[in-house]
Amino acid sequence: MRISKAALLVVIALTVPILVELRTVLAWVNVELTVLESAVLGMTMILAILIWALWPQNGRGDPSRSG
Amino acid sequence: MNVHTYEKIWLVAAMVLIVAFIATITYGSVGLGIAMVGDQQPTIEPTELGDDERFGEPRVEQVGENEYEAYVVAQTFSYQPDPIEVPEDSQVTFYVTARDVIHSFSIAGTNVNTMAIPGEIAEMTVEFDEAGEYGIVCNEYCGPDHHNMEGKLHVVSADEFDLTDLSADGPDEVAVGDSVDVDVVVENRQLEDLETTVTLEIGDETVSEEVTVPGGDAVETTLSVDSSALGEGDHDWTVTVDDHDSSGSVTVLEELDDDADGGEDDE
Amino acid sequence: MSNVYIDQFPAEAKVIRAAFYSSFLALALGGVFGIIQTLHRTDFLRFMDSVDYYTVLTAHGVFLVISFTIFFLVGIFTWAVTTSLDRGLEDIRFTWGWYSLMAIGITMTGVAILAGFTDAIDMSASVLFTFYAPLQAHPLFYLGLVLFVVGTWVAGVDWFRSWWAWKAENPDERIPLPTFMVLTTMLMWYIATLGVAAAILLFLLPWSLGLIETVNPLLTRTLFWFFGHPVVYFWLMPAYMMWYVMLPKFSGGKLFSDPLARVVFVLFLILSVPTGIHHQYLDPGIAEGFKFIAMTNTMFLLLPSLLTAFTVVASMEHGARQRGGEGYFGWLKALPWRDPVFTGMALAGLMFAAAGFSGMINAGMNINYLVHNTFWVVGHFHLTVGTAVALTFMAVTYWFLPQVTGKALWSRSVALGQVVVWFVGMTFMSNAMHRAGLLGVPRRTAEPQYEGFEFQAAVGSIGELDAQIALGGVLLTISLGMFFANVVGTALNGRSDDLPANEYAGALSGPDDAPLVLDNLKLWTAIAVVLVIFAYTFPLLSIIDRGGLFGPEVIPFPLTVESATTLGFALETAASTSFESAGEIATSALTAVMR
Ligand code: HEM
Ligand SMILES: [Cu+2]
Ligand SMILES: [Cu+2]
Repeated sequence: MRISKAALLVVIALTVPILVELRTVLAWVNVELTVLESAVLGMTMILAILIWALWPQNGRGDPSRSG
Repeated sequence: MNVHTYEKIWLVAAMVLIVAFIATITYGSVGLGIAMVGDQQPTIEPTELGDDERFGEPRVEQVGENEYEAYVVAQTFSYQPDPIEVPEDSQVTFYVTARDVIHSFSIAGTNVNTMAIPGEIAEMTVEFDEAGEYGIVCNEYCGPDHHNMEGKLHVVSADEFDLTDLSADGPDEVAVGDSVDVDVVVENRQLEDLETTVTLEIGDETVSEEVTVPGGDAVETTLSVDSSALGEGDHDWTVTVDDHDSSGSVTVLEELDDDADGGEDDE
Repeated sequence: MSNVYIDQFPAEAKVIRAAFYSSFLALALGGVFGIIQTLHRTDFLRFMDSVDYYTVLTAHGVFLVISFTIFFLVGIFTWAVTTSLDRGLEDIRFTWGWYSLMAIGITMTGVAILAGFTDAIDMSASVLFTFYAPLQAHPLFYLGLVLFVVGTWVAGVDWFRSWWAWKAENPDERIPLPTFMVLTTMLMWYIATLGVAAAILLFLLPWSLGLIETVNPLLTRTLFWFFGHPVVYFWLMPAYMMWYVMLPKFSGGKLFSDPLARVVFVLFLILSVPTGIHHQYLDPGIAEGFKFIAMTNTMFLLLPSLLTAFTVVASMEHGARQRGGEGYFGWLKALPWRDPVFTGMALAGLMFAAAGFSGMINAGMNINYLVHNTFWVVGHFHLTVGTAVALTFMAVTYWFLPQVTGKALWSRSVALGQVVVWFVGMTFMSNAMHRAGLLGVPRRTAEPQYEGFEFQAAVGSIGELDAQIALGGVLLTISLGMFFANVVGTALNGRSDDLPANEYAGALSGPDDAPLVLDNLKLWTAIAVVLVIFAYTFPLLSIIDRGGLFGPEVIPFPLTVESATTLGFALETAASTSFESAGEIATSALTAVMR
């Protein structure tokens, strides 16, 4: 893990305002995301964060895997 | 005092930001001449609105070529007049007061928004460029039915717009052979003279008259139809002036006894 | 003897516990009303008459922003004074005295409000927490508020007494920062509450008792906002205190600068009050010039908040680096995110930054016309008092509750979940409220669905905004549930010997760096008073000159029984008619007037 579990939770929580505000701002420039599109985008963001957080850091690999 | 360099930079930046805000808003309100609701208007007795020249009869009035004034009363739980009708391409000054508690007069989704406080009159000038319909809401809690307090503002095209008022009055009964006389009053609250035609339709008969109503004035006239042409029985009549109409009905009787003449009706 | 607060100051800990539990009770009630009105407004669940909505809203407002916040802050102020002066209060009976005054007062007010739900009791106070005349509440409502406020005044005296006693023994020492913050806040509060005290005692209470016939609606409204703006800082300054003296500690470091913290509180003392007219930009009868002065003062009031933002972030960074954090942003990873106290405060601070943005919009005299009294405003203050303050208070509870009970926190994980869920819920709710406000959706409205027109949504639809608000409201309610689980769980725990010591953060740049003049409370109070006189004398005189001290003839709403002449008599005969029937009477009276 790159960051602690608690920090990961907070980072994931932060995607919500980013997403919600992004949708609001995009609407000003006439790009309207539907609820479904926003949800998919949100899931993608969270997935990306999870992958980033859980990916073993170079060199110092995950101890359980490098065994 | 020991102030860190970063802190100094931040402090200066914060002050610059604040002064910039004040400058922008000052420019926005003073520089561009956008008037705010202030204390321009005198106070008024909320219980005596009925006798007030402006608010006794809440209405829209023309005061200049494209300039109008609207006198609006907010009260639990409605607005007068409703709907408010103004023409496009006009500049309308609203005067708003409250009859009972504090309300607001807010055109939804715009910055036309003011409190309506009993005893005070809010003044606000608004320009309407395009025709359209707006909702008016009360956004200041005013009592148990506050959520039902709404009104409408119609901005109509110039051809559709007028400030004409029509009222017509006729007899209830006439004897065959007498004429049916309908008294008509046409009021014109616009500045320009109104040249128009007053038409009375009754049964198959139609009579009309050209009238010119001076701006800010009213004209009275009487249109008559011979009742023999109508025949006995009940007849509905309608008076029309442009888009406005007013109607009533009359009964033509075979013969009227002398003593029955106008007996029942004293209108 | 351990270093836990309850062992150091057992008697004070008991008062603080009582204040906290009173505060939490109000939070629980307020929360229940919050979700009821959210679902009602958005038309997802309507089980009551829309008339009752306003009783619910009055209760939500009063319980949350008067009882929840103020009971909590008198608790932490008591903690701050005793801890930082390292001495108990002078006379604990005196302390219980003000606590009782507050408790009795708010109970009276609460009863008057809740009686509005039933026709069985001839009493109501559905006037919302702003109680604008000619809306009229039962006298009990006003009287309770008076007692409550007087209780807070006496509390202030209690803390001043501690400080005077301490100063006599330590003549040459600087006022410890937490005590300094308490004293400046209370001085601000004394000035601020003069406004409501005048509004209630001179006008509204006698009027509701039938002693005077009429009031000047614009005058009482202006006096309300004389108090109504600074009360915001009365909630916020304790939260700031937590950010200054506790957050650095939880981040693992020290407060960046003690002198600047003092400057910030002094600025709040002198600038909080002369700004209230910014709530009245849209009021007819107040000259534009006065509004302009209020606007300028408001903008300068941004300064202490901006300074706070800097100090808080700098202190957090310092803490993180002490904990081994590195890099430009890398230090963020080193912060103690596992700690709900820290995370809750950090998230609350973050939301406050967003609130600052929407607040600047509100403060702009001309832009205000677009948003005034729309749902935007509700979105704004759920970020400020509803999150910056409420979430900070809930987060620090996880540290204070063990201190004043001597019991370990029931669950740190639930606590962490709670603050995060609040953050997410508030994001949804507040964002949609702001957006709905821009479309003109009004606040304080049971059914913002109108017959004659529809609001034009920019993105999505009104239905979607409503759904987002309801979703946020549900998450917030869940978060409150988690909070109470933790409070109850902790209260039921046994005593623990393994609690952290009672201490607050030291400062990198200590009080000795602060110029002495900063501690001259008399000077700052005098300046504050002068500014208030400057900002308010002319507007008040002009309002009285225009409308008269007692205003024009207005119809009280609901109509009151005329004969209530003495206080006792009035209290016994529940003097006002209930809201619904009054509505009908008033409407028929009005139609009669019109004919
Ligand atoms: C469960 C959490 C909460 C929910 C679901 C909630 C929901 C709402 C809603 C929907 C309104 C708007 C009602 C209207 O204008 O028609 C409202 C108003 C308000 N809320 Fe909350 N809220 C919550 C928590 C809080 C907290 C924690 C505070 C402050 C500490 C707070 C303070 C207020 C105030 C002051 C009002 C305005 C009352 C008025 O206009 O008279 N709320 N709340
Ligand atoms: Cu209203
Ligand atoms: Cu304010």
